[in-house]
Amino acid sequence: MSLQTAPLDRRNFLRAAFAGAVAIPLGVSLASCSTGGGGATGKVTAKNPFGLADNTTVDAVIFKGGYGTDYVDFAGKLLSKEHAGSSVKVTASTTIASQLQPRFVGGNPPDLVDNSGAQSIGFNSILDQLEDLQDVLDANNLEGTKISDTLYPGVLTPGEFDGELKALNYVLTLYAVWYSGSLFEKNGWTPPTTWDEAYELGGQAKAAGKYLFVWGKEAATYYQTLAIDSAIKEGGDDVRLALDNLEEGCWSSDPMQKVLTSLKKIIDAGYFKPGGSGTQFTAAQAQWSNDQSALLYPSGSWIENEMKSQTVDGFDMKGVPEFTVSTSSSLPQTALRSTAGEPFIVPSKAKSVAGGKEVLRIMLSKEAATNFAKTRLAPTIVKDTVPDDAFGSTALASQIEMLNGAGSDTFTFTFVDNYGTNQDQLVLWNAFLDGKSSVNELTDGLQKISDKVRDDDSIKKIKVT
Amino acid sequence: MSLAGSSDVAGALAAAPGGGLKSPRRRRGGRRWTFDRISLFVVFLGIPLAIFLVFVISPFVQAIFYAFTNWNGFSSDFQIIGFGNFVKLFGDDIVMTAFLNNVILALVVPLATIVIALAFASAITVGGPSLGPIRGIRGSSFYRVVSFFPYVIPAIVIGIVWAGVFDPSHGILNALLSVLGLPFESFAWLGEESTARWCLIFLMVWSFVGFYMVLFVAAIKSVPSETYEAARLDGAGRFRMTMSITLPAIRDNVQTAYIYLGITALDGYVYATGLTPGGGPSNTTLVVPQKILQNLFTNGQASYASAMGVALSLVTLLFAVVVFAIARIARGKDDPR
Repeated sequence: MSLQTAPLDRRNFLRAAFAGAVAIPLGVSLASCSTGGGGATGKVTAKNPFGLADNTTVDAVIFKGGYGTDYVDFAGKLLSKEHAGSSVKVTASTTIASQLQPRFVGGNPPDLVDNSGAQSIGFNSILDQLEDLQDVLDANNLEGTKISDTLYPGVLTPGEFDGELKALNYVLTLYAVWYSGSLFEKNGWTPPTTWDEAYELGGQAKAAGKYLFVWGKEAATYYQTLAIDSAIKEGGDDVRLALDNLEEGCWSSDPMQKVLTSLKKIIDAGYFKPGGSGTQFTAAQAQWSNDQSALLYPSGSWIENEMKSQTVDGFDMKGVPEFTVSTSSSLPQTALRSTAGEPFIVPSKAKSVAGGKEVLRIMLSKEAATNFAKTRLAPTIVKDTVPDDAFGSTALASQIEMLNGAGSDTFTFTFVDNYGTNQDQLVLWNAFLDGKSSVNELTDGLQKISDKVRDDDSIKKIKVT
Repeated sequence: MSLAGSSDVAGALAAAPGGGLKSPRRRRGGRRWTFDRISLFVVFLGIPLAIFLVFVISPFVQAIFYAFTNWNGFSSDFQIIGFGNFVKLFGDDIVMTAFLNNVILALVVPLATIVIALAFASAITVGGPSLGPIRGIRGSSFYRVVSFFPYVIPAIVIGIVWAGVFDPSHGILNALLSVLGLPFESFAWLGEESTARWCLIFLMVWSFVGFYMVLFVAAIKSVPSETYEAARLDGAGRFRMTMSITLPAIRDNVQTAYIYLGITALDGYVYATGLTPGGGPSNTTLVVPQKILQNLFTNGQASYASAMGVALSLVTLLFAVVVFAIARIARGKDDPR
């Protein structure tokens, strides 16, 4: 019957169409495997240490978070002034990882990336595609001083991987316990420096109808940061290295257990505002900065900027270094977890590697760094850019004071960011702060997360020293 | 589904004038590839098929392929490592929890949604006064519109708004309960293991009920009202009418609804992320897509994420097979479709 020929035709047609449709994406993905290269370079001079080619447009993709992107535009304008004909094209992004994934795979990444935010690229997946930025530090800034001499101590650590500087973290971030200067003054309270003092203050807060701490469900691990920092101050480098290198039993060290027990005492006394595990974290923070129903909040120094619109007038935000367990701790009470955020990276396959580095060099020069501190009320990793009045911000003034007090006693830890464990740890911390789990249960759970990463051969480990 | 749709198009073409069964031209030895025929094929079959293959099938194939590699998502080189990712998957307790959560959602959400939607639909169409013609309860058109509202709101907005409602300190729910004198001052609905999962389920059911109610209303309208009148004369109550007349008559719609709802519940990403971005207390509201996204972009384990995606689609297929099988058994011998 003639009907029989019809399905046959159709089937062949479908078959050919299918083959064609499969071949197209395959071809595209194969073609993308070819690699690019460092790009055109110009002449290396004192004013052009990386050999930026003439008339370059530097392609910068910048995370648009609390700090915005216009500080890079500012550096771009300086670059155009230094190198007539060249300019910086800034693309703002809030989804760095998903937006840049195809460009990294395809071998045509941007010249400069601010790999920050909730959707940043995990560093251990792109390390071998990044430039070593040591030569930026070795170069002179626009004022003629060697850049490495102008930085705060310890700020390069978070960008160092296997002895190479793969990322330059631009914004100085320090971790502290924050409070309202005016509220404390009014009630005659002093900010605590040890866990015992914190416990006592909790009792006074309760008497005044307030809580000591508050937390939000997405930020329960801020208390993990506080606990780790406190344990490191108590026990020194041994504690830090054990955690960072995911050693067996790293959560069971004596200082860590002392800190967790002290924290548990505060939780059991009811000094945490209940309900945190069901509260959105900025709402929880507003209960501290706006409602003032809690006295203290442990956080990074971005907190002032983050809560700007939700802070009650005359709050007078100030910080105090994180607590120690005893007065005979390994590091002094003034020691700080001082690190840097906003990691800027220069991919090796970028069209203009020199352009990426040149923008960084300009950003680290005095004019650009001062502009950042002034407009964002946050210090960069460049020293001496904040005047004594701190542009009128008590939190910024307090930061500078804590930094000066700490001197060279600064440290940081990186395993949470390196291996993306925060998400899994949050669950344990919410339960712990809720009073639902014991110190032992928390320790076991956290240890299990560290063990899981360590025993997984497919995850590249970063040795911390 | 669309593949079947495409061949339907071709089938329709074969039956179209000129290419029809009794066309004299065909008897003379097959059809000619005229310009009209070719352009018709290209426009109605070739282009949709190519789009479908490039944007739907090829990503599927790629994801399956990557699941067997150690690709980290950002470099262009990787090795094929066989079933390593799947072995890891079964040993990963958090991912297994996520799978379990999705399965619970797929069991509870469709059932609850369909029961409620069916009850509403019956009330609106045939649940009215037992005297006079068969009709819905008073004000039924108003209820129909109101209950459709949640479906119009984007899922992420629903998630965020309800997260605010459930807030322990400033949420409207605890405020209302406190006004009634109940001890819910700082109760963390999304922070308690006992309630977080139910909050998520409630949210999903709440957002779907309106749409499926409208679907069922349309289906019930096609059931002849004489059937209901006859049943009423025989003394059947509203519940009996629903179980013995409505449900068998609209069985196919219920089956379709069950599968759609199940597939949505096996995803659940937007609702879960809007409500509890971190996975909830003890991971009780964590869903697999959240883990996929986390591994794909944050942890640099794209191949592992692909393996999870492949496993999730297998679960989804399994779900559809089970629903079809149950429907076939329930249909029995009287309806050999």
